[in-house]
Amino acid sequence: MKKDIYAKMQILSDSAKYDVSCSSSGSDSNYKTGELGATHNSGICHTFTADGRCVSLLKVLLTNFCIYDCAYCINRVSNDIERAAFSPRELADITINFYKRNYIEGLFISSGIIESEDHTMELILRTLRILRFEHKFNGYIHVKLIPGSDALLIEEVVKLASRVSSNIELPSDASLKLLAPNKTKEKVLQPLKLARDISLERSNKPIGMSTQLIVGASPESDRDILKLSSVLYDKALLKRVYYSAYIPVNDDKNLPSIINKPPLLREHRLYQADWLLRFYGFEYNEIVTEHKPNLDEELDPKTFWALNNLHLFPIEINKASKEELIRIPGIGVRGAFKIIKARRFKRLKFEDLVALKISIKRAKYFILCDGVFQKEIPLYEDHIKKALITPQNKKSIQPNLFDVSGITGEI
Amino acid sequence: MVAIYDGSFEAFLTLVHDVYYKKITLEVIKKEGAEIALFDELYEVRVDEQKSEAVLEALQKKFTKENFERILHIFMCDTRDFEMDLLCYIVTGFKSQKELQNINTPCIFKLHAMQKEFFHVYHKMSGFLRFEELVDETLYAKLEVKYNVLSLLGKHFSKRLNNQNYIIHDIKRELAFVHTKEFKGVQKVADFDLPTHSASEEKFQKLWKTFFKSVAIKSRENKKLQRQTVPFLYRTYMSEFNS
Repeated sequence: MKKDIYAKMQILSDSAKYDVSCSSSGSDSNYKTGELGATHNSGICHTFTADGRCVSLLKVLLTNFCIYDCAYCINRVSNDIERAAFSPRELADITINFYKRNYIEGLFISSGIIESEDHTMELILRTLRILRFEHKFNGYIHVKLIPGSDALLIEEVVKLASRVSSNIELPSDASLKLLAPNKTKEKVLQPLKLARDISLERSNKPIGMSTQLIVGASPESDRDILKLSSVLYDKALLKRVYYSAYIPVNDDKNLPSIINKPPLLREHRLYQADWLLRFYGFEYNEIVTEHKPNLDEELDPKTFWALNNLHLFPIEINKASKEELIRIPGIGVRGAFKIIKARRFKRLKFEDLVALKISIKRAKYFILCDGVFQKEIPLYEDHIKKALITPQNKKSIQPNLFDVSGITGEI
Repeated sequence: MVAIYDGSFEAFLTLVHDVYYKKITLEVIKKEGAEIALFDELYEVRVDEQKSEAVLEALQKKFTKENFERILHIFMCDTRDFEMDLLCYIVTGFKSQKELQNINTPCIFKLHAMQKEFFHVYHKMSGFLRFEELVDETLYAKLEVKYNVLSLLGKHFSKRLNNQNYIIHDIKRELAFVHTKEFKGVQKVADFDLPTHSASEEKFQKLWKTFFKSVAIKSRENKKLQRQTVPFLYRTYMSEFNS
């Protein structure tokens, strides 16, 4: 019955892998002389798995025993799978030893519900205390709050963790009722609201919080999903929303049965749209409108928006403000900064943009450079869309070292 | 003329001095050992401490902190031929610091881009470096990397491994960053016998590999993406890629 430590690791990391949150960014450096561990503002990826995802934190469940029966979850009580549990001390010991070897930035701890919500939360708390007090560990710790656990327990977790989260999983109450009968949106959001209020009492900067939405298991449109994210960001409740393409792990009459492949492209487009909300000053109803409630899979959301708002283009890059520049398809925050820096010294032409290594593949249809507009394609939605999605003649392009930025997306 | 120097910062600064006061014009600057064409007119740089210190002082006085640091970082990109661009950068900077913001100038743009790449390599390495625990609990990491990021890495880890003893060993450059109670900084390493691992080292490497394998989601496998994010160059000492 007793499993060895390797088997436990195998089972409990396998059970945690569908949680996509991985970031370790957004905490200011906090090291103390004579202690162990520090967080790094931009976050650090320590390796990448075979599916290309970054490993930043030791992401495991404390246990995969669970009393709940959520349809989409691999650990639901009605599933006949191998179960295991770490003791708090065991998990703390592994975390410290992984950290010292520079395998990880810290711990991402989540858990199935064992015995009761409070009991589970207490076990998590015990792990945190060992790490923070015995090992004097200042690295990153992300805790998945257990919905329905006692406010006092949540309060103590918030004091010790770097970030907390609680997964909404399904974008509407109706879907939750159908697929996760033991959860409601209110119940899921309750610990987050509580955590925000507690951390606001102590300082003016609330603890970072995030959530995860599953995409493709239920019928909501991209507009529904982005509206929900946008509301959560506006209320300053969350720092990040993660989107996870639905991967069938269980058979259930209420779930879409035949999905050959997880909707990875849709997930990707949602992330792009999410970035527009957080860093590019877009509102959700600019990106997805009432009569186009879903994102276009062929085009990225910014290009999609630009094509639907061609009356704002072309934009003269020598005059546009930073806010206008970052709304041009293909020009990101870094590109905008380069343009602003370079145009102080001269009026920029197309070839100057190329020399500055700013990609104009998409941007060229939407800009004026010193009064000049590209001549190949007229400024009509259909023409530009066709030019953008028609595959180019395959040229072998030498990959450029500067383009493969591992920190893309971090600003 | 083709200038030859020994690759040291002092020699390069001496050369800058000569360019200014001896009015030599250069087509290219090469490190010792680089190939030289038969009919090249050579200018061999000899380190002159007075000259190099004078230039260093002038740089610190005239250049903004950011621009001065850029020069140091470019010098750490020791596998690149940055010399002519750096010379152009320094000459421009002595005329006007403001002009160094003009990224339309090729040599300035190139150095900005090179510095960005330098930070990129450093950032990747700060995640991909792997320590192993030795019998005396010292943490030891081997490093093989394109640019000389050792000193930056050493400082990075002095925050997070503040109460530990550790050594980061740059194998090819024969340097090591040592962090103990007695000494913190970069040292020359002539030869080195690998000490023995601690008793628990194997256990944690095995646990790490177990974890690494089991968190990957089969139905999302994407090896091409993995090759982009962890290029083979970096994998030499990452145990999860070496079974």
